[in-house]
Amino acid sequence: MLSHCESNDYTSGTFHHVPAGIVGTFLMTRLQLLGLTVAAALFATASVHAEGDKAAGRKLIYTCNGCHGVPGYANAYPNYPVPRIAGQNEQYIVNALHGYKSGDRKHPTMMAQAQSLSDKDIDDIAAYLSSLAK
Amino acid sequence: MKRALTLLSFGAVLAFASTQIFAAGSIENGKQKAATCFACHGADGNAVDPQYPRLAGQYNMYIQQALHEYKSGQRDNAIMKGFVATLSEQDIEDVAAYFSSLPTKLDTVKGHIQGDK
Repeated sequence: MLSHCESNDYTSGTFHHVPAGIVGTFLMTRLQLLGLTVAAALFATASVHAEGDKAAGRKLIYTCNGCHGVPGYANAYPNYPVPRIAGQNEQYIVNALHGYKSGDRKHPTMMAQAQSLSDKDIDDIAAYLSSLAK
Repeated sequence: MKRALTLLSFGAVLAFASTQIFAAGSIENGKQKAATCFACHGADGNAVDPQYPRLAGQYNMYIQQALHEYKSGQRDNAIMKGFVATLSEQDIEDVAAYFSSLPTKLDTVKGHIQGDK
């Protein structure tokens, strides 16, 4: 940090007689401000991205109803009930659908479904389903 | 490292506890064995951190299926892979029996699609 200050143009001119500690403090403040600005910008972007549209999600899950809307509906080979997804946690649903979409999580039907969904669709579906928690 | 050792010791305890043979999943035993799950999935089976799924009231056989998939590697998750490695078949049945028996916030999407009331 100190070597950075010494080689900096700010330190050679204006702050020539100012103790290095104060220069450092001043620079840190500027850097911190910059950092905060960048962080805030990133955070704002991330928030916007994560905020799914529930109304859109409600329309999108029409297809899910065929299996996930039938209590006790069983997956065949192997035989087990398809999970209850209404009320499931948001980020878990986002991760699951992205996993199916990329093929990391393997289930033929779910992979095909997820591949038809955009990233926004996935956010919308997750926002809606998670909002249904009883 | 300490954490890993703690988890490993939990695993060892689970492995020894599971040598007893039960016909089907035991909610009572499942509650004991599920202690390690609570940190992420919540003591009541409703994970607070939204990246982890709610397990309370999920179908018993679905939970078993998920655990088997983690065990076989079909479902690839570094955290869950470590945990299931310590679970016997009986443990899986017990843990699934326990979580599926809890009061749920989950439901099917029946009645929640566009066009429904």
